[in-house]
Amino acid sequence: MSPPALAQALVAAVTPTNDYEFVSGDLHEEYLRIMYLSGAKVANRWYWAQVLLSIPSLLSYSRSNKSALRHIGVALIALIVLAAMVGVVLVIDTVFQADPIPSWVWFCVNWTDALIFGAILARLVRTDGVRVAFSAALFLVLCFVTPAVAGNPHSQAPLLAWILLWGVIPAMCIGAGLYQAIRCRIDSVN
Amino acid sequence: MAKGEYLGEFEHFVLLTILRLGDGAYGAMIRAEIERVTGRSPVIGAVHATLERLERKGLVSSWTGEPTAARGGKAKRHFKIEADGLSALKNARKALERLHAGVSLRNATV
Repeated sequence: MSPPALAQALVAAVTPTNDYEFVSGDLHEEYLRIMYLSGAKVANRWYWAQVLLSIPSLLSYSRSNKSALRHIGVALIALIVLAAMVGVVLVIDTVFQADPIPSWVWFCVNWTDALIFGAILARLVRTDGVRVAFSAALFLVLCFVTPAVAGNPHSQAPLLAWILLWGVIPAMCIGAGLYQAIRCRIDSVN
Repeated sequence: MAKGEYLGEFEHFVLLTILRLGDGAYGAMIRAEIERVTGRSPVIGAVHATLERLERKGLVSSWTGEPTAARGGKAKRHFKIEADGLSALKNARKALERLHAGVSLRNATV
């Protein structure tokens, strides 16, 4: 028995690369203990709670000795990439305003856009690319969600719009992860 | 002691727990011990973030153990308290004792 795959992927996305093995190992060990004591359902719930509540702590630190200046640089790069990403979507939106495109095409465009920018972000930051992509995508999504929810508590945005928006987070992480995997393969060949 | 050198409450908990468990304590073990002793249930991310901060301050040191099947083939990061960590705990204890001196909680009313 192993912990929920999606939760494990989330741990991999938000944990500093150097610490991933230890954090996921600790979670795995406690998960197995709880599963034997209380069953898989309780263990899965415990695992998800641990992962979700750990996100702020895990995103807040890094083991590498990078200067504060580099962190600011990474944050600026992330913001520029996010601005570019929103810009591309707005341009497409404007071009097709007169003749609305089907929603499935819209999903493909947005998520491909997120995938590409995730990969670009990973290329720019070089280390912890998935983690930076996750933070940047979460920031972007919250920028859209917070005003919508705060402005109208009974927000009636269509379900498809919410799926489209939240899907940006995994899409950017997948883009960054793919870039890292390809780079690892190229490095190992060389 | 400069302001940044004081221990935060959770840092205090983690340092004391490493001392209780002895050399070789690791994340899951520390989390479970804090939960067992204090009743407070910290998340693993908070424990690791605190351990990293304590290591950066030179209060604890760490080394990598062997991977085990019980951890899905993943290794442990073991921790031990350093001399600076021990003196930080002593200072924190002295400060608390001085604050408690002359104060009776039994007769205190609110």
